[in-house]
Amino acid sequence: MKFFKRMQELDRRWIYIIIALAIVVPLMIPFDSDNLTTPSTENLYQMIDSFSGREDRAILMSFAHDASTMPELFPMEVAILRHCFERNIKVFTFSNSPLGAPIIDYAINTVKDEYPQIESGVHYCNFGYKPNMFAIVIGMGDNIATTMNVDAEGRKVETLPIMRGITNYTEMNLVVEFSGSVAGGTWIVYARPKFGLNVAVGVTAVMAADQYPYLQSGQLIGMLSGLKGAAEYEKLVDVFATNEQSFSSEKLSDPRIRDLIKITTQSVASFTQTEFTAFLNRYPQQKDLIEKYREEKDGIIQINWSQIPPQHTEQLGFFVMDELQRKANHIKYSFKTARVGMNAQSVAHIVMIVFIILGNLGYFVQKLSDKK
Amino acid sequence: MSFELFSNLIGAFFTLCIFSFLYKDNPLYQMAEQLLVGLSVGYSLVLTYHRVFIPYVYQPIVIRHQFMLIIPFLIGVLYLTRLTRKLSWLSRYPIAFSVMGVGSSFALSLHTAILVQMRQAMVPLESINLTLIFIGTITVLLYFFFSKAHSGTYGKFVNVGKWYMMIGFGASFGLTVMARVSLLIGRIQFLVLDVLGLMK
Amino acid sequence: MKKTIPMMIVMIGGLIWLFWAFSPHYIMQEDFLYKFYIPWSWAMIPPATILGIISLSMMHKAKIQRRAHKWQYSFFFFAGFITITLAGFLGGTQKGGLYMWMFENMQMPMSATMFALLAFYMASAAYKAFRARSPEATVLLLAAIIVMLAQVPIGTRISKYLPDISQWILDVPNLASKRGIMLGVGLGSIATSLKILLGIERSYLGGGD
Repeated sequence: MKFFKRMQELDRRWIYIIIALAIVVPLMIPFDSDNLTTPSTENLYQMIDSFSGREDRAILMSFAHDASTMPELFPMEVAILRHCFERNIKVFTFSNSPLGAPIIDYAINTVKDEYPQIESGVHYCNFGYKPNMFAIVIGMGDNIATTMNVDAEGRKVETLPIMRGITNYTEMNLVVEFSGSVAGGTWIVYARPKFGLNVAVGVTAVMAADQYPYLQSGQLIGMLSGLKGAAEYEKLVDVFATNEQSFSSEKLSDPRIRDLIKITTQSVASFTQTEFTAFLNRYPQQKDLIEKYREEKDGIIQINWSQIPPQHTEQLGFFVMDELQRKANHIKYSFKTARVGMNAQSVAHIVMIVFIILGNLGYFVQKLSDKK
Repeated sequence: MSFELFSNLIGAFFTLCIFSFLYKDNPLYQMAEQLLVGLSVGYSLVLTYHRVFIPYVYQPIVIRHQFMLIIPFLIGVLYLTRLTRKLSWLSRYPIAFSVMGVGSSFALSLHTAILVQMRQAMVPLESINLTLIFIGTITVLLYFFFSKAHSGTYGKFVNVGKWYMMIGFGASFGLTVMARVSLLIGRIQFLVLDVLGLMK
Repeated sequence: MKKTIPMMIVMIGGLIWLFWAFSPHYIMQEDFLYKFYIPWSWAMIPPATILGIISLSMMHKAKIQRRAHKWQYSFFFFAGFITITLAGFLGGTQKGGLYMWMFENMQMPMSATMFALLAFYMASAAYKAFRARSPEATVLLLAAIIVMLAQVPIGTRISKYLPDISQWILDVPNLASKRGIMLGVGLGSIATSLKILLGIERSYLGGGD
């Protein structure tokens, strides 16, 4: 009985240390895990993917949050931007809060580092911080270029190449709002009934449960909820977008996709003979250097990119290295942040549940002994 | 030491200042807290000047000579009368200007939050789940209807709403735990990975 | 003059806005919205920002003057405020300047950490406060535990049905209860809007005469 009594009086700082360890350890020792996708994430993915390669379709990402909710929302933003850059989907970004504007730059730069061919004003356009949410939401229903006037770099929006084929919500048919507080409120109330705009949200898990009535009614066409939503989207991009495939739920339940979503370092790129010849032909200048690292096993050519020393990776250049890593199904850290985080989340949730159970156990045992 | 590492170390220092509150309230936390407020306010002031005052007040009035805009700007200045006791009633004018938007939100929120939701609650009960949702919505609504005493058969029926709400709150609670943990994970990822570079 | 005119502005303006929501006429959409309301509301934003800053500064100034509890820390408010403001006005707001640097390496880490503290309090509360004292609390805790487990990858390893059960909880009982609450809250706020429009609710005008 004494044990349970002492357990009840455990100092809170011990609890803090346990929960901190439950997060630090799984972050430092990564392991592969799978996040099942939910319909609300899949719907959003499919909607965005249906705009692929179309001149007359675009999405808008509204960054309605500040740094305080970044750990949950930032990986979503990165994953969606990556999806757009990967599948050639026009994307606009804006924030109605001064504190959200730097997050847009941060997100775009994180993804752009891996996509050097993507250009501002052509493939994407950042409107930056624009005050007066209401005016923006209503105004864009009429004309995006005149409402936004200039982009974050001070260029006239109407002169930008990305605007070809884009006038208002008829073309920019989907807005995804990332928020820790309002979750698409202004868009659902004003733009949805007046202009028929499709609205989706990326919300912190705190607000996710409240959005289900809107999801069922179709007022929200999709939702990413918290870090799990981000992890799900990251997975979908890795399974479909990076392999230039469109979404299919059959493929998602195929166990073979496990190779595509490993979040530990994958270092061996495997080629068939024909694939390898095609690869070499794409980079004639680096041919000799690539050959140097080639190994052959059972008729399959393998290159371990992690063994290439830095001076050679520089010589090979960004595109060769990128292709090798893709072939190895290696995922860069910034594109798997949420999934690495979900590993820690697993352990932390178990610890939390153990806390609840232990706390209750102690409480009831003590109550029983008090009665006696 | 690279500039990036220096910047990250500064970020790590302030992160730890805030975390130090877990041990107990201390001067480093107090300092960080006030600094945070000061920085946020200063940041917004500069951005409001560059992104709002210049393009929407200064340029239209001074460069494009839209002198009418002086009027709303002066009405806006009336906000400052809040700071005096005698003239503070003047600040009601700019407030009234922003409150009048309630007219449009009246109509459109009615549509979004009531009509569409009610329509969805009245779909044909073709499946068990739809029936359960229907019963839940009705009983939760009745639970908050206090004009009739919750007793007898009616009371039992209304009580069903309470159980629905408990499950709903439970789901919200589970997700809230998740959200808070995620935020901590984000900060630890910053400390462990970006600053100490322990994993790539 | 002091209360009646602002109230009239709200009532008449509110009715125009109500009309705007239904009328596609260009006088409403073009003249009223784009030529009048939007530019006017923009022009009122800067003084509102100034008001917030002045009242916050006055509070800290008073704290220092009165040597109130923890007054020394108010200097850090001014230090942060003045430095970043000067950096922004003198050095510009572009990336690479001191202004953005301070924001990215001081403001952002601190505000992100503020909420991360809550995870620790949550853990402490999980251990010390979440008790299954009644059947209602037990149901709440059970639903929470199922949702918590199903959200993470490990949950699917425990049982393959867990994600489906959790999704059902969110899609059915959770949806019904949230919809019920939403309709109640929605009707309440619509009623308040109507009271403002009709001049019955005047608390937004503040106290005094």
